[in-house]
Amino acid sequence: MTVSELNKEYRAVLVEKKQLNEDTFYLSFRCPDIAQKAIPGQFVNISCSNFLKRPFGVASTDVANGLFYVGVKTIGKGTNSIASLNEGDMVDVLGPLGNGFNFEGFDSFILVAGGTGVFPINFASEYLQAKNVKHTVVQGFRCKSQIVMNRPEYVLSTDNGDVGIHGNCCDCLDTLDLSLYKNCAVCCVGPLPMMKAVGAWATKNNLKCFVSMEQRMACGIGICLVCVCKLNAEAEGQEFKHVRCCKEGPVFPYEEVIF
Amino acid sequence: MSSINVKVGDLALNSPLILASGTCNFGHELSSYYDLSILGGLSSKGLTLLPRLGNEGCRVAETECGMLNSVGLQNPGVESFIKNDLDYMNTLGTKVIINVAGHSIEDYVGMVSRLDQFSSKIDALEINLSCPNVRAGCMSIGSERDQVSEVVSAMRKLTKLPLWIKLTPNVTDIKSIAYAAQEAGADAIVLINTLLGMVIDIKTRRPVLHNNTGGYSGPGIKPVAIRMVAECASVLSIPVIGCGGVMTYEDVIEFMIAGASAVQIGTGSLVHPTLPVKITEDLIDYVKKNDIDLSSLTGTLRMW
Repeated sequence: MTVSELNKEYRAVLVEKKQLNEDTFYLSFRCPDIAQKAIPGQFVNISCSNFLKRPFGVASTDVANGLFYVGVKTIGKGTNSIASLNEGDMVDVLGPLGNGFNFEGFDSFILVAGGTGVFPINFASEYLQAKNVKHTVVQGFRCKSQIVMNRPEYVLSTDNGDVGIHGNCCDCLDTLDLSLYKNCAVCCVGPLPMMKAVGAWATKNNLKCFVSMEQRMACGIGICLVCVCKLNAEAEGQEFKHVRCCKEGPVFPYEEVIF
Repeated sequence: MSSINVKVGDLALNSPLILASGTCNFGHELSSYYDLSILGGLSSKGLTLLPRLGNEGCRVAETECGMLNSVGLQNPGVESFIKNDLDYMNTLGTKVIINVAGHSIEDYVGMVSRLDQFSSKIDALEINLSCPNVRAGCMSIGSERDQVSEVVSAMRKLTKLPLWIKLTPNVTDIKSIAYAAQEAGADAIVLINTLLGMVIDIKTRRPVLHNNTGGYSGPGIKPVAIRMVAECASVLSIPVIGCGGVMTYEDVIEFMIAGASAVQIGTGSLVHPTLPVKITEDLIDYVKKNDIDLSSLTGTLRMW
């Protein structure tokens, strides 16, 4: 491996910060390598005021300007410190990390997003759009004030019926005419109960489903083994195995995950 | 003059920096970030006779100055390691240190006799008598002087490979345990493994870690590690290898002054994968500026 091929820890400048709602921000950082290499479903690890970096699914890239985008929902001290950065501030970044969605072998996609999953699903939609691949985005939110990264053509639900379909993502999925989706796969990023329900819906409809798992992480590069998720391992003669979310994942086929 | 070469007993290292077990796996991942031959050595993920799935649920809790982990010695088992990873470690151009863990004296004896069959591919065995995350596990052996003595004596009979004994800091008198290991035939003592800790989620009033407790590592534990290295180095005739919270070259120098012959980097790699590259450059600058061999610092502490 030559030096130029080695992975790096980058210093990246915050180029722009937008507040999307009360606790959610959209940030762009300049890092041409990450902008160039990232594919949908991959993540970056960004330094914060706390000890460990924080993982964020890549939300978009602007290769011409060397930018990558992430969505940050403020949860604790670490995410708050990142959301409090000013344009021009520098961070340490590792990435792109993990395996993204493998779109090979399918002709159309249903992309399902909940929570901060709207960010990686945005990147997936942009990517498929650029390649002219048929796809539909389904978003589920708790209520109107939570809606971010939405576009008019998306199928939308809210738990309280504020806007869109009154219900959850599966209620949206039930409204789709599946005969219009040839050789279709479902890609889902969201809270665990949502991914479990969407996976079950896909299975019922004979569709392959990929989910993006989230775990508390430390290194993000596969050396500490703290972010494992539980996969079915009957084929290997055991009930389950622990695989690294950051390295073998975060995207896994739904049927392999033990929720 | 101006060298960062060190020796641990008879083993010559081209740098005092060794990647600590459990923070570098078997080197595959970090070798995509830098040339690991700049290191003095790499200590493998802790291995057991049989594969271990590790603990379920949340395995990490962050603190102000570090983190707790409760991985629970997830590893592929010694046979898979021999088949899939040992030869790879030998391609890295750094000393190959194999970390050995177990639940009983029989486990350690079994591991050491198996690994001794590959002694030409191994530079040292690091005996983990200190993992806090395995129930009825190695920490309980490492906390009892007589058991440490018994397990080290038993292993000593089976191999000529250097035996580095990695001790737990979760004891009242580290000196007596380190001394017992030395008298039983250890070649070096590694200090320290993680400190047993707990982090509570105040919203749920439950421990963050599903194992309830975990091993605390990172800069917060460095003063404890320095104290234990200094205490043990003052009574031992075998080398001490320091470990605990190293983030800068000054930390390395501090450990060496306290009495360490070499120094491990663990949690630092989880935060900055290329941290050892920066520390190596800084150590080289330091020895040049001061016109000294780094090894001359070992044990130069003058107590008040």
